[in-house]
Parts: sequence; C-alpha cells; structure tokens
Amino acid sequence: MDSISYYLQTILNGILAGCIYALFAMGLTLIYGVLNFVNFAHGELIMWGAYFLFLFMAEPFGLPLYVAIIPALALTGCLGLAMDYSVFRPIRRANRLTLLIAAMGLSVLLRNAAQFFWGAEVRTYGFEVIAGTQFLGLYLTTTQFAIIAVTLICVVAVYLLFFKSRLGKSMRALSDNLDLARISGIDTKRSILAAWVISAVLAGIGGILLALDTNLHPEMGIANLIKAFAATLIGGVGNLWGALLGGLLIGLAENIGVLFISPGYKDGIAFVIMVLILLARPYVILGERSD
Amino acid sequence: MDLLLHLCVIIAIYAIFALSLNVEVGYTGLFNFGHVAFFAVGAYTSALLTLSGVPFVWSLPAALTMAGLCGFLLSIPALKLQGDYFGIATLGFGEILRMIFNNEVWLTKGPMGLPGIPRPEFFGFVFDTLPRYLALSAGFALLTFAILAFVVLSPFGRALKAVRDDETAAEILGKNAYRFKIKSFVIGSVFAGLAGVLWAHYATFIGPGDFTLTETILVLLIVVMGGKGTFPGPVVGAVALIFFQESVRFLRLPPEWTRLLGPLQQMIFGLLLVVLMVFRPEGIIREKGGER
Amino acid sequence: MKKLAVLVAVVAIFAFLAVPAVRAAEPIKIGAAFALSGSIAVYGEGFKKCIDLAVEEINAKGGIKGRKIEIVYEDNKSNPKDCVTAVRKLITVDKVPVIFGPAGSSNFMATAPVAQENKVVLLSAQGAAVGLTKAGDYIFRVFPSDTLQGPHLAKLAIGMGYKKVPVMYVNNDWGLGLKNAFVDAYKKMGGTVTDIIAYDEKKTDYRTELLRASKGNPPAIVNLTYINEGAVQFKQAFEMGIKTQWLCGSAARAPKMVELAGKAAEGVIGTYPSVPQNTKQYQAFKDAYKKKYGDDKIPIFGDYNYDMVYVTAKAIEKGGYTADGIRKALPAAAKGYKGVTGDKTFDNERSPKFAEYGIWIVKDGKIEDYKK
Repeated sequence: MDSISYYLQTILNGILAGCIYALFAMGLTLIYGVLNFVNFAHGELIMWGAYFLFLFMAEPFGLPLYVAIIPALALTGCLGLAMDYSVFRPIRRANRLTLLIAAMGLSVLLRNAAQFFWGAEVRTYGFEVIAGTQFLGLYLTTTQFAIIAVTLICVVAVYLLFFKSRLGKSMRALSDNLDLARISGIDTKRSILAAWVISAVLAGIGGILLALDTNLHPEMGIANLIKAFAATLIGGVGNLWGALLGGLLIGLAENIGVLFISPGYKDGIAFVIMVLILLARPYVILGERSD
Repeated sequence: MDLLLHLCVIIAIYAIFALSLNVEVGYTGLFNFGHVAFFAVGAYTSALLTLSGVPFVWSLPAALTMAGLCGFLLSIPALKLQGDYFGIATLGFGEILRMIFNNEVWLTKGPMGLPGIPRPEFFGFVFDTLPRYLALSAGFALLTFAILAFVVLSPFGRALKAVRDDETAAEILGKNAYRFKIKSFVIGSVFAGLAGVLWAHYATFIGPGDFTLTETILVLLIVVMGGKGTFPGPVVGAVALIFFQESVRFLRLPPEWTRLLGPLQQMIFGLLLVVLMVFRPEGIIREKGGER
Repeated sequence: MKKLAVLVAVVAIFAFLAVPAVRAAEPIKIGAAFALSGSIAVYGEGFKKCIDLAVEEINAKGGIKGRKIEIVYEDNKSNPKDCVTAVRKLITVDKVPVIFGPAGSSNFMATAPVAQENKVVLLSAQGAAVGLTKAGDYIFRVFPSDTLQGPHLAKLAIGMGYKKVPVMYVNNDWGLGLKNAFVDAYKKMGGTVTDIIAYDEKKTDYRTELLRASKGNPPAIVNLTYINEGAVQFKQAFEMGIKTQWLCGSAARAPKMVELAGKAAEGVIGTYPSVPQNTKQYQAFKDAYKKKYGDDKIPIFGDYNYDMVYVTAKAIEKGGYTADGIRKALPAAAKGYKGVTGDKTFDNERSPKFAEYGIWIVKDGKIEDYKK
C-alpha cells in the first residue's frame, strides 16, 4: 500500500467502524432519551440480532440471508419489548443505580444465554470470502458498502420518523419530560413501545452488519457497547444526530489514533475522548439534556 | 476440609472488596463501575515490589498508598461528572488501566502475568499454609470491617449519606459535597487495594485478565444483594455469592454438561441481579430508613 | 432438549446442595482442569475428546493393573483465576495425585505454584511458553518449548528469501514468547524486522493492524496468531486486497482456522512442532479417532494430550498411584517413549528434549505439510 491509499484506507476503515457505532449509539440514545436510563443490555440486543439471523439461516430453517433478516429483526424487536416489559417497566420509577444494575444483570443473563446455546467460540454465517472491489485505490467489500448504505438509510428513516411523524413528536415529548407528556395526554405507552422496537431493530441491524463483516461471538455486543456509550455521551443524550456524529468521530479517532499509538490502546481511545469532551462541557452537550 | 478454608479466604477477600465498594456506592451514591481497577493497582503494586525483593511489610502500605493515590487522581476529574457519566467514566478508567497492565510489558509482563508471587512474611513468620493465610485474610477483613464501620457510623458517614440522598440539601447545610465524595472515593480505593494485595499473595499469580468488568459486576452484585448502604450487607453478600459460585463446583454432572455449567451459572447471577433489582433492590439486609 | 434437561437438573440438584459422593477406591482418578467453557473452550473440548479416546483404549486393555482410569474434569472457564480454583478443587476434594493442566500458558502458569505447593503432579500437553515448568519438580510438559520454534520460523523466512519482514503477534504469553524467540533468531540470521505490532486477542476487527503491517507492500508478514484471530485477520486481509505470504507459528494450525477463514487462508505457511503423520502409529490414532467421533480432523494439540495420557498411565504403573511416585516415574516412563507425537524424553526442565519442526501450509482448504 502506498502512502496515500494507506491513509485513505485508514479513514475509510474509520468511517465503516463509525457507521456501526452510530447505529448502536442511535438505539442507545433513543432509550436514554425517552426513558432516561442507560440500557446496559443494549449490547445484547446487538448480539442477539446477529445470532437470530444465524439461527434462521441455519437448519432447520435454512433461509437465505435476505429472507432470514426479517424474522431475525422481528425477534430482536420482541426481545427489546420483552426486556422492557419484564424488567424495566416494573422499576420505571426506581433510582438510577437500580436501573443500571438491573440492566447490567440483564446483560450478563442474555450474554451467557447466547453462550449457553451457541457456545463461546466464534461463529460465522458461512459466506464465501470475496476480495473487495477496488475503488480509487481502496478496497471495499460488498458488506462494507452495505454498512454505509444501510446506515444512511437508517439515519434517513429515523429522521423521517422522528421529525416528520406524530409518533416521533410524541417520543420527543417523552424525551423532554416523561411526566408532562403523560399528563398532556400523549400516548406514552405506545411511544415507549415504539422506542424499544426502534432501538432494538437498530441494534439488530448493526449487529448483523457487524457480524457479516467480522463474525459472531457472544462478547460482540458488550465489546462495542462501551464505544456506543461514548458515542452517545459525546453526541448528547437523546440526540440522534449527536449519536451519528459521535459514532463517526469515535470510529475515525480510533483508526487514525492507532497510527500514532500502540494498537493495544485502541479501545481506550473512545473513553479518553468521551471523558475529555464531558469534562470540557460537563452539563450541556450539543444543546440537549442537562442532568 | 481444605476447600472450605479456601472458600473462607476468598470470602474474606471479597468481603473487603465489597465493603470498600459499599462506601462508594452504598453510602455516597457514587456509581463506581471501575472499582476493580484499584483492586488491580493494589495487587500489582504489592506483587511487583515483593517480586523485586521488597518485604511484604513495606509492599503492603506501598500498595495501599498507590491504590489510594490512583483513586484520588481519578476522582478529581471524574467527580466533576454526574451520575451515569461518572459511572461510565469509571468503567472506562477500569478498562484503560487494564489495557495499561496488558500493554506495558516492561513493567507488568503484560498478558504473561506475574507468577510466583511470594507469600507474605512478617518478621520471619511466613503465611504459607492455608490456615495461616486464612487467619491473615480474616484478620484483615475484620480490621476493614471495624475501620469502615467506624467511618460510616461517624458524622462523616452520615454526611456521605446526606450527600447521596440529596446533594443540594447537603450543600446548603454547608457540606462540600465534592470534598466528601473525594474522601469517600479514596477510602474505597485504599481498601479495594487491600483486597487486591491479599488476592495477589494468595493466588501467587496475577494477570490483566483477572481484573475485568466481570469482576466489577460480581462485586457489585455482592454489595447490592447483601444490602448496600448497610455494613453487614456486603459481608452477607460475599458469603452468599462466593459460596454459591463455588458450591456449584460440587455438583457431579457428566462432563458434557459442565460446558454448559459455566454460562448457566453466570446466567443465574444475571438473573439474580435482575430479580433483586425488581423485587428487593435494598438487598438482604435493609438499610434503616433507606429509600427504595 | 438436552439443554432444557440440564437446566432442570441443575436447578433440582442445587436445591439439595450435593455433598461430595463417597467413591469406591477402585478407579484411578486423574484430574483435568480444562477450558470447557469460555473463550478457549474450543481447545478444551478438543483435548477432552483425545483424552477420552486414550482412556477408553487403556481401559479396554484392562486399565492400569486392573484398575480403570477415570478422568475428573473441572471446567476452568478459560481464565487463570478459575484455573487455580479448578486445580485446587481437584487437589483437595477429589484428592487426585496428578492433573492434566489447562491450555494457555498463562492459565497453566497460574496453577503451577498451586500444584507444586501441594505436591501434586501437573502436566501440560500444549504449553509452549518458555519457563512453563519453572515452578518446580512436580511440573511437566509433553509439548516443546517455543525457544525451539523461533529459530525454525526464522530459518523458514530466510530460506524462502524474505530478508525483511514485519512481525504481528497476539499480545499474550504465547505470542510474546514466540515473537522474542523469532526476532532474536531472525536478526542473527541477517534478517531485518521492519515493524512489530502487538494485537489483542478476541477482537473481531484487525484491519488497523493489518493495514499497518501491509504498509510498503511487504512480500511476507510474520503473524503469530491463534485460530479465531488468525481467521479474522486472513479474511480481512483478503478483503482489503493485501497480497502477501503469511508466515505463522503453530497455534493457527487448526482445521477450524481454515474453516473460518475460507479461501483467505489459502497459502498460509507456518512452523509447528511436527509430528510425522504418515507413521503407522499416527494413522492408527487417526483411525481410532475417526471411529469414535466420526471425522478425522484431530483437534489442535489433541495428539499431545493423547500421548500425555499414555505417558502418565505408564508412570502410574511404574511408580504407583501417588504423586511422589508418579513424579519420580515420569522421566523413566517418558524416556524413549515414542508416542504419536514423537519421542517424549524429558530434559532437565521436564520439557521434551526432542522436537522436530515441520512446516505446514494451507492448500486447497486443507492443512498439509509443506514441501519446498
């Protein structure tokens, strides 16, 4: 690789990673915004999305990729709803620590459940590996192209939903003030349900794309969750654009950063950035929620 | 039976670890998710020193100081952040510290870890047998319990609770919340370091893989299940959980099933945490006058 | 269905808090602290298969002096701390005098002091790190130390004409040790190491490291990697259009790696402590494995584990079923013993004295020996 394409490829890798982080972060920030708590189990939605697809593509279903995605995402959405119904709804009013710990517990439960069923080793969807197509000196595989395309589609879809629909308006109202929204007659139940479904589906899509790009294993959710947090916090809680930007920022920072520092610290870059930004503006971030 | 002694040592160590976290989470309301980092600092400091020939009598206080110092340094910027952000920042710190231990091979031998850590020696008396080590850890556990009980029952402790419950009100009453939080954090870090020291000299081998998020979640579960904000709570939690975790090993299942046992056990932990939070977030031992 | 049964059974059994069962003195129990769950469970499961095969064979021939061998498996959950607990349990509750130790040098080295302290024999069939047996005279291994592999890999690189290579390695005990051994030897032979890149295990994305390694289009890259990591790396390199000769160590030499990487693994070459597979003995082992398990893909290090059982059985037979007896009898039992993995004679450090290193290559989706 000559110098220019070396750096360009790095940036491309950063964008790809960033897109995936953005998808994760958007789902996370949605729940954080609407329900005001950090869903630590979000990583497991990511991971289960990918594993559901695996389930439907394997025997006894044996569905092809494009067909299997539908039940996979549907089940992921259901999982999100189930999480809310069984765990988070009963403790909706509890203090933050309780919610966080409950989410952590859920995360441990789901992560190990996946390991219980599928084992701890890395699994693959079993597609033939294909060389990427050359493109201005850079290499891009079909999956990677899909990552960028799907992320764009999701962003547009989410934008339309959030800012151009009534449901979106309700969700934004909830995001601002849950109690006030309730009193105002907004159908909070429906909005909360919608938030979970969207959050879970975004996670599932992200998980599937990630797994297509890099294979499945039970830790894939939590490994990326932490970066999704960082992206969410950088972008501002409840702020979807912020999540997108945060994700891209982290993806780029990670990939460019390792040109200068040891790759062993790559995962730490996200944190450092997050902490620095949080410290610089501790109370107001990108104009949204202040705690 | 030897295994019982082994269990008690582990319980003692985790009791100290949990009591230290309780000061931060239970009493001061700080969501410290990186607590394992200070456990690690204590362990590594004492291990590295004793491996270079420094006697335990010196490595112990050195380790405690390092742990406390790290706690202090971290708390200054971190405590400027609120609630969840603080939690995630501490989580991040824990992970970064683990990365440092993993990458700086020249210092910590990285992923190869430090084997052959010597047993503690106090002026010729070596704690090399299991009963002796149990006496050592149990002794430290009791000491920790006493010291921390003293701390939390004191006016300082009550101030911590005030800060936890309503920071604004506490400030109005003249308590500098920020200072209190720092003090609480440092105390917690020092004792976490103590637990780490005891661990290192017991296991005789430590590596970065021993100090992961899973550890933090385990100790969090102990504190929360035992009853945070109380002081017998963490000890009860430690006894219950470590006992459960280890007693599962007693089960005689056919080998094909043991592969499933690991994740199953973790699933039970996770489920336990969830159920606890939904039905009894105060834990086994309830705090007097505490909130839900 | 089986999983459901497990769940129900465990819950039911736990309610009674099982007491360690009283065992008849008859069977010869050997402990095994393996990774049966967790990230390196793939290794533990493989070892178990080969060990069970060996045990079955020995028992079929009457066991040891009429007593059947029974392996008590403890799951070490793929981390050092649980390895220590597993070994302790085997020592204190099951009271076994000899234990087959865990995979992963740092896991093994965590348990070695415990075994040594309690005077229980501990064996490794796959630990390659230098100094593995340092903890004491109760610690043995039937797998050669990596100090021997480094020079072979260096020789391979130089021999193939690669005078300048970047080195990537997995940042853990095994990778670090082998990297050092390789770099030392390679430099001595006149090679230049252009870059050294350490990477973490268990990641799913290595594109950054790969990109860095491929800077300047090196004709060969030395990559000391594991199964999963290697598979991901080769795949991603392939997708990124990186064309280079991959030179690896022994840990990636597994059918699973090829399965995961697909055609991206084609042409990957590496060294490994070689075991001539065309001997009658090895073939017999392979056939027996195939008969029992249905395929002849011997799991990585499985053959070493197989030999470990036989050597241990021989030692028990000669020295008696006590830790001290086994310890004393092992060198004699191993001396000149030609297992499926070759001569198992120990050196002064209780590691195999003899090790041949061969070269493997992935060709047409299969791992074969490389003939220049």
